[in-house]
Amino acid sequence: MTLGASRAVMTLASCCLGESRRDWAQAMEAEFEEAVNEGRPLAFATGCLLTAWREMPQHQEGRLVLASYALALGLLIPMAVFSFACALGLPQLSAGRGILFGMTTASGEWSPYLASAQMAAVPALLLLWLLLGVGRLCLAWALVEADWSRAFNVGAMIAAVTITLYLLMGVLFLDGTPLIPQVIELAIEMTAILVAARRNTRFVMSRSFDVTVWQA
Amino acid sequence: MPRNRRPSKQMLALLEALLERAQQWRHGYDLMKETGLSSGTLYPLLMRMTDQGLVEAEWREPAQPGRPARHAYKLTAAGVAFARAAVNPNGAPSSGFALA
Repeated sequence: MTLGASRAVMTLASCCLGESRRDWAQAMEAEFEEAVNEGRPLAFATGCLLTAWREMPQHQEGRLVLASYALALGLLIPMAVFSFACALGLPQLSAGRGILFGMTTASGEWSPYLASAQMAAVPALLLLWLLLGVGRLCLAWALVEADWSRAFNVGAMIAAVTITLYLLMGVLFLDGTPLIPQVIELAIEMTAILVAARRNTRFVMSRSFDVTVWQA
Repeated sequence: MPRNRRPSKQMLALLEALLERAQQWRHGYDLMKETGLSSGTLYPLLMRMTDQGLVEAEWREPAQPGRPARHAYKLTAAGVAFARAAVNPNGAPSSGFALA
């Protein structure tokens, strides 16, 4: 049990050290066998993991990984939670208060003439808010996996859903103010993804150049 | 611009251990046992010292067959000079290496 956990911690430490410290990761793995023989594998592996974490900001690959996780955990997941919270606000409409997702109509008053149209639009609005939330979770996943093509596809889908939601809310005379943070956040996340993708491409190209030179 | 600070006590312990048998290649786990440092302290020090040219590292064949090759460490000539200056309280370190 302890040995299995220690090996898992060592594997994590090796991954965190990245390509630039591959030699050191292998060195630690070799010494890990000594620690196993001495009966202190977990303490050794934990120390190696701490080393790897301390090293991460020192190399480009590590900085990219940290930035991706910061963006995913600090921006995308909170915005996904916000989208789900907006979707969960839908039952307030059926309670007959005339408020959709905690929003009033653009005029700030409840119009009985629009009630049936707004009620009919609830499933579509619910679906769109849920799509926004799920899209952001997928985007966070693509980002930490550095899958840039999927990240751009999901980002385009989120943009399309946001525009559709804005138009639909306009048609229903609903106040679109809660969508403003969504649009700002979308602009921030797409810019951040573009920057991260460019840096990652530059890093991968420099690495492949190094390998080509080494092979030549 | 390299900083010129006094070595930490962990680094001094490592320098002393390496200086004691300066001509021998030493393994990481043996250094841990000798200095009492944890792997989380030893490896960052070794990495920095290797980057700064104080320590050289190379892969050594295992003593027993079937075991993995191990990384071994030794002070370089600059490392020996630096370690002597750092360990000896009367002699200030003359080089401008960044210290942990």
